[in-house]
Amino acid sequence: MKRCFTIVLLIAFALVANMSLVSADDAWWAEAAAPYAGSTIRGVSESTPPSNYVADVLAAQFTELTGIHVEFETTSWDQMYSKAINDMEANTGIYDFVYIEQDIIYSYLAQDYLVNLTQFAADNAALAAADYDESAFTSFADYFKNADGDLFGVPMEAFVKVYLYRKDLFEDADIMAAFEAEYGYPLAPAETFEQYADNAMFFTAYGESMDMDLWGTTVQGSTGHPASTYEFLESIGPSFGLYNWGINLDAGSAQSANGGALDGETAVEALSFWLSMLPYAPPEATSSTWDEVASSFAAGRAAQGWVYGENAAWIATDESRSAVTGNVGVRLPVTAPGVIEAAQMGEGYIGYYDGGAFGIPHSSRNKEATLLWLQFIGQPSVQAEWAAVGARITHTATFDDPLIAEQDAKVDGYYTLLEEQGPLFAGAPPFPFHAQVREIIDPFIQRAILGELTPAEALSQAAMAVDEELARLGYGM
Amino acid sequence: MRNPRVGWALLSPTLVILLIFGFAPFLYVLFVGFNQWNVFSAADGLVFNGLDNFRRLVFDDDFLHSVGLTARFAIFAIGSEVVLGFVLAQMLTRDFPGRSLFRIIHTFPLMVAPIAVGAIWRLLVIPGFGPVPFFLDRWLDLTYQIGTYPDQALMTSVLMDIWHWTPFVTLTMLAGLSSIPREPVEQAKVDGANRLQVFWYVTLPFLRPVLLTTIFIRIMDAIRTVDEVWMLAGGGPGTRFTGIYIWRVVFPRTDYGYGSSISLITLYLTIVLCWLLFIAISGRRKGEVE
Repeated sequence: MKRCFTIVLLIAFALVANMSLVSADDAWWAEAAAPYAGSTIRGVSESTPPSNYVADVLAAQFTELTGIHVEFETTSWDQMYSKAINDMEANTGIYDFVYIEQDIIYSYLAQDYLVNLTQFAADNAALAAADYDESAFTSFADYFKNADGDLFGVPMEAFVKVYLYRKDLFEDADIMAAFEAEYGYPLAPAETFEQYADNAMFFTAYGESMDMDLWGTTVQGSTGHPASTYEFLESIGPSFGLYNWGINLDAGSAQSANGGALDGETAVEALSFWLSMLPYAPPEATSSTWDEVASSFAAGRAAQGWVYGENAAWIATDESRSAVTGNVGVRLPVTAPGVIEAAQMGEGYIGYYDGGAFGIPHSSRNKEATLLWLQFIGQPSVQAEWAAVGARITHTATFDDPLIAEQDAKVDGYYTLLEEQGPLFAGAPPFPFHAQVREIIDPFIQRAILGELTPAEALSQAAMAVDEELARLGYGM
Repeated sequence: MRNPRVGWALLSPTLVILLIFGFAPFLYVLFVGFNQWNVFSAADGLVFNGLDNFRRLVFDDDFLHSVGLTARFAIFAIGSEVVLGFVLAQMLTRDFPGRSLFRIIHTFPLMVAPIAVGAIWRLLVIPGFGPVPFFLDRWLDLTYQIGTYPDQALMTSVLMDIWHWTPFVTLTMLAGLSSIPREPVEQAKVDGANRLQVFWYVTLPFLRPVLLTTIFIRIMDAIRTVDEVWMLAGGGPGTRFTGIYIWRVVFPRTDYGYGSSISLITLYLTIVLCWLLFIAISGRRKGEVE
């Protein structure tokens, strides 16, 4: 009895201590934010699961704690870029924080659009939150640092583009037997491109024979959006061994003759394979960006595919939006022989490590209040639930959180894959002309999708056009 | 006699606003059009490059393709709208049961914002999910994919534009028809003219000013179409019209100099086209005076 009483007493003590810690923490935020209480900070981002969590949950929490209002605009990917760049370029100060996608950070740094957060926090010691620590971020944060190691954006999402497949189909005994009878080897998640193609053909035929809306693969092949170029250059290309978009920055060229690789054999092989998957993709493939690919897979319309990891969690667990919950398998994307080994040795990568951060533009009129906000979202305490909803992890410690361990089991080990195999992936190449050159490549990829150009013609013309644009931009030969 | 100074005084606020928000930006675009200016280039700021931007666009296949597409879009859409609008306007001049209700319903598309029109049509035609491709496939065994077939994308844009803007043409035609005096029409009938002759020799000449104004407005709208089509197909094949091409050059590519030069040429083409149409429809010749 006495022992029991002691335990109850200890628990009560722990609870009280915890409460006092929380309130002390809350008091610090209120005190630090007091000069800015009642002000409004504005931000813009792409409408993604992690961003929506920020808008719906974290912004309200921060306002309650500090009295600082957060107006957070989640919009389309194109609009997000246009709005942020126009604001920063014109120095209008509409936005106090902007989403910095990993691939655009080099362009923003080259134009000196962003506040050095490390320096700014050091200069404003009174605003430094005790719970915020730059070293707690995963190595993904390195993409947002300059040569001196100073941070220019607080990472808010980081994920890889993985291979998803429908376990209910791949583990169905009848389907497995039918596949083996037709192809002479067991049905399994693809590990080679030949296997991927066989799976795609088989499930497309299976869907047709069973009068089901089922196709063999996803293809992010929008002919009216850069998403198709991104899937080719950042997912398919690297898995064949085509790196950095085939652009040799030192040589200032994309053409093989000048040291580039965009029109090389590997690139042509990669594009040919990807285009050969179109007949086995759902009819919406040529209108699909990353969002539609995720929706198609969630609707059960594809047996396998390349899907951005930020969607993995909701596809696997959210029954209100997904028809394949509990049946989602996650694997590394298919690669050509030698590509994984090269990535392990640091000589390449197998796919795209995507993500972004929030940074403060120099044009912001509320830098101090925004610094508090960015530290708030960068605290370890808010990470786990955010990671569970948005399938993104930016803190090393989040991988060990019990909530993530529980979610990991539901998403077929996606988080474990992110932690253990994440280093095999890489962000976009460090081009200060990212969007400019990608816009040049888009029409050629889109015409190849439509069959107006062969893969070799498309890439040859794209490489030439890229070289012309690089020359115009002052980065060419 | 009225004092013209009063007139100018009353006009001056409008003129000032037009100068500030219309003419000044035009001068700025004119200035930028003669410079190389990409904020993400290695060079800082604007670099004067004379006529280089204009020379470049003459050899720019994407731009020329966009002009061709825009012309096809404008011809199909405006031609259909004028014919349909006239027929509907004629119909609305007569009495029939439910005329008022029809008039209200028929005007609804005009009240919808272009971006919403684009969204509605996208939901209707998106392959895999939209009802239009579904039923075309099921009933007529037709494959309808605007992302795969450029001609289908173009025709869908045309249909969308017709749906959105025919009511506008109908209303202007209706106003024109209502203002035609009865006497010449009745006189022509008394003189033995058939319906086609009445239309050709009496109605059409009276409608000419309205027709001209309507076509001008629709041409200018069609050439600068962006939002509806952007929402529908993202400016993919078959829908990469000049407006969308300019948007792509100016925003994602941030090539402000080149984008300005394309804008100027597009404006020039619009003015020339409208002038040619004015001459063709109004029947004016060189040296003629009103």
